[in-house]
Amino acid sequence: MRIENWWYTAPLRLRSLFRRRRVERELEEELQFHLEHKIAEGLADGLSPREARHRAMRAMGGLEQRKEEMRDARRISWLTDFVADVGYALRSLRRTPGVTALVVVTLALGIGMTVTPFSMIDALIFRPFPVPSPEEVVTLVGTSRDGAYEPFSYREYRDIHDHTKSYAGVIANSPLRSVGFAAEPGTTPKVQGGMLVSGNYFSVLGVVPQVGRGFRADEDEVPGRDAVVVLGPDFWRRELASDPSIVGRRIRLNGSEFTVVGVAPESFQGLYIFSRPDVYVPLAMAGVFSTDPRKSFFEDRDDRELSVKARLRSTASLAAARSELAALAEDFARAYPALNRERGATVRTAFEMRTRPDQVEWKFGIIFAVLALAVLLVACTNVAGLLLARARSRAREVAVRLSLGAGRFRLVRLLLTESLVLAGLGGLGGIAIGWAAIEVLRDFSIPTELPVQVPFRLDGRMLLVALALAVLSAVVCGLAPALQTTRPDLVTGLKAADVELPGRKRLWGRNALVVAQVATSLMLLTAAYLMARSFRASVDVGVEFAHRPVLLMRLDPRLAQYDAARTARFYELLVDRARQLPGVAGAALTKSPPLGLDRFDALAFVPEGYPLPPDRDSFTAAMDTIDEGFFDTLGIPIVSGRGFLAADTAESPRVAIVNEAFARRYWPDGDAVGRRLRLDGAGGPPAEVVGVARTVKYRETTDRETEFVYLPLAQRPTARMLLLLRTSGDPLQWVEPAREIVRALEPNLPMLETRTYEDLYRYHVVEGPGVAIRLVFTMGAVGVMLAIGGLYGLVAYNVSRRTREIGIRMAIGAGPSAVLRLVMAGGLALVAIGTAIGLVMGFAVERLMNAAVFHAGGVDVVAYLVVVPTMALVTVLAAYVPARRATRIAPTLALRCE
Amino acid sequence: MSKPTDLVLGTLDLLLLKILALEPLHGWAIGLRLRSLSGDVLQVSEGSLYSALHKLEQEGWIRAEWKQTENNRRAKFYALTRPGRKQLESEAANWQRLSAAISHVVQLSEA
Repeated sequence: MRIENWWYTAPLRLRSLFRRRRVERELEEELQFHLEHKIAEGLADGLSPREARHRAMRAMGGLEQRKEEMRDARRISWLTDFVADVGYALRSLRRTPGVTALVVVTLALGIGMTVTPFSMIDALIFRPFPVPSPEEVVTLVGTSRDGAYEPFSYREYRDIHDHTKSYAGVIANSPLRSVGFAAEPGTTPKVQGGMLVSGNYFSVLGVVPQVGRGFRADEDEVPGRDAVVVLGPDFWRRELASDPSIVGRRIRLNGSEFTVVGVAPESFQGLYIFSRPDVYVPLAMAGVFSTDPRKSFFEDRDDRELSVKARLRSTASLAAARSELAALAEDFARAYPALNRERGATVRTAFEMRTRPDQVEWKFGIIFAVLALAVLLVACTNVAGLLLARARSRAREVAVRLSLGAGRFRLVRLLLTESLVLAGLGGLGGIAIGWAAIEVLRDFSIPTELPVQVPFRLDGRMLLVALALAVLSAVVCGLAPALQTTRPDLVTGLKAADVELPGRKRLWGRNALVVAQVATSLMLLTAAYLMARSFRASVDVGVEFAHRPVLLMRLDPRLAQYDAARTARFYELLVDRARQLPGVAGAALTKSPPLGLDRFDALAFVPEGYPLPPDRDSFTAAMDTIDEGFFDTLGIPIVSGRGFLAADTAESPRVAIVNEAFARRYWPDGDAVGRRLRLDGAGGPPAEVVGVARTVKYRETTDRETEFVYLPLAQRPTARMLLLLRTSGDPLQWVEPAREIVRALEPNLPMLETRTYEDLYRYHVVEGPGVAIRLVFTMGAVGVMLAIGGLYGLVAYNVSRRTREIGIRMAIGAGPSAVLRLVMAGGLALVAIGTAIGLVMGFAVERLMNAAVFHAGGVDVVAYLVVVPTMALVTVLAAYVPARRATRIAPTLALRCE
Repeated sequence: MSKPTDLVLGTLDLLLLKILALEPLHGWAIGLRLRSLSGDVLQVSEGSLYSALHKLEQEGWIRAEWKQTENNRRAKFYALTRPGRKQLESEAANWQRLSAAISHVVQLSEA
């Protein structure tokens, strides 16, 4: 069809589709008209009516064939054929409800198990920002020497904003993790999550508030002047009952009054995957939320807290934007060399940001998706096996059709339509299973002070994935049977319903299916077993502190407008009084405890006596700021030297404590105690290492040994700290007494987060990894079930095919055990081959998982010693049951059966 | 009876378009017109004729309409569309070029 003639052709197509009867009638009439003239012509030539009619009919070459040609000319025959095929497929499937149900359930399991990880991948990698033209939105990042991405400072953001030309707008934002919110003055503040944003944030992103307006550019110009706020949609609903007259009202954030100017639309939940901001506040109001005395947000070029994004102009290329920003970064380095050592800047797309190598979540997603596709493959091979068996019983029907002149391609299409119908039904079931699985995942709670959004969901994109998977599986599992069935030579096909197809070649396909199933499910089980084992091993050492009865309570005196001196005094009093509580064995302060939910600060340092590589001037390690009670309270042993003392004050010489891994790495030949360490880079102050602490697990229980530094709170004042209370019983019983102390010290201070260490431990060890292990194990179990079904089917099929042969063998004296051996030998050979392949694949998966997630090396022999025999036993049973039936065949019956 | 090969391959479309450019006709009349215009040299089988007509219609080059014939029967009349006229022009030009070239080659005197 020529597109340009659509004006004439489109109505024709529509007519052909929807007025089919009428079009048919007209075709009939047209040819009839011609035929009449032809007959009249014959009569005029002097023929008898009969002869004239015959001659005319001959000339027309069979009316029906002509009509068919013209139907083809309408080019919708494929569609009408398809509809007819679907009807035919449904009828034929209804005749074999058992097989149909089995196939549909199998495919539903396969597709359902695959949709779930795909929804994870979609959420973590592919889902676009919820703004118009999301592909234009890029992220600008600073780069450090080791390739990590870093945010920008306010001054740097202003320079980027003013001196780049590639963008339609440059925005900046900085998450506020705890904002004390009170609708009325005088009520105890509630903690909410917020976002500091540049004044052009909403306009550049193209987000139009559902109520009121976004910020004006002038509301972000003068620090502290314009106290305005845009509310998040959830917050508006939850805290303010969706009050439509909210614009113009005042709410209190961290004790200051803000005027509401708008409410963000439901469709816009922020640019972050896991969190939804409750309130948006202009950058100019940063003072209300950060009163860190050492830094000045608006002035210090190295106070880097802003995530910078920009909307690329349609005329600008990414490459040009990159070189522009890189040049600007060089300008920064020239103007402020001390603050920009080895620092560059680049532009990253959303996809690049989300698939950074230092993010773990998306890797998990990919691993799951690959494993799930393996399950789907097993399901497909199984279905292919079932369809193959089904196709055999239809060999006669197909042979009849072929001999009546049906084209092979047309028949293959018919059979493929059948598998498409099956896959469609399976896809529907798969969507139901996927939906249920995603609901389970969404229930999974992450213990943070703010509700964390689990972003997995079954949306249109996922339905599309399910559909694509269904079509894919239809082709994968339908093509081979369709091709094979339409090939038999006609004579044998017509002679008997169940043809003995000659040669071994025919069985090759089914054998390969079973081998593939055994191999894949073995791989899945190995993966599940390995994950479970690695997690269990990972919690054996280095997590003892998490089993202590410890209460954690997060505080931030900045929320009550405390300055540094008052903050220090507050913490001093707090810990003192907490220690006095009856039943409290120890109290301490920490900024980010091991296995906590915060990121650790990164410390740039230069170790004394350790040669620096020529191209760098410092190393980095994770660090925590603690007080002198920390090691006692958590029971982390100091292996040499001492812990921090009350005597380590701001005025005394700087001290530090490192862990064993750190000491071994930088001072391998002797005691680390007494060595010195320059803090915060080569130009920073030196600190003396006074003690070495036992290495524990810091981020995850699956961590490799992490080098870690502790610095004393007194020498590194910090506002946001966690109070740790070691108690003599259930820590939750000390929540109220601890609150009393805080309230007595400062009634306006919100308590940000209260939990036990056991909670954190459960999150790290039980819930997160537990979900992962269960997911993979379920896949493995489903895979094994499918493999058992496949193997059972194959052996049973072979037995039925060889009934006559077995009857003869038994008639001439073969015993049951000989028959058993004969029948099972084939099945066992397949299991053996499948196991061998599965071992290789399992080995590959193990390498992959160890490298990506568990940071472990080597091969886990025990895994194979457990999984392989289990698998072998199960598959042998699957072959044994039908084989046993073969031994009960009565020879006389068997000989008569054909 | 004529076979499709009686016509130079691919010229049927051109002939049909040209005939319909003169006036709208039904299928039977098109066959007659083709024969008479070509002095009984060109014939087309019913099968090829109707397939070709339906194909041209699906391409949007001709348009069908049910009308009364002179002796008051309903018949399907085909008429040229605007894209059809353009197509006719380009195919006619093409044919001129081709036939001229062929004649030129055929008429070469053998040395």
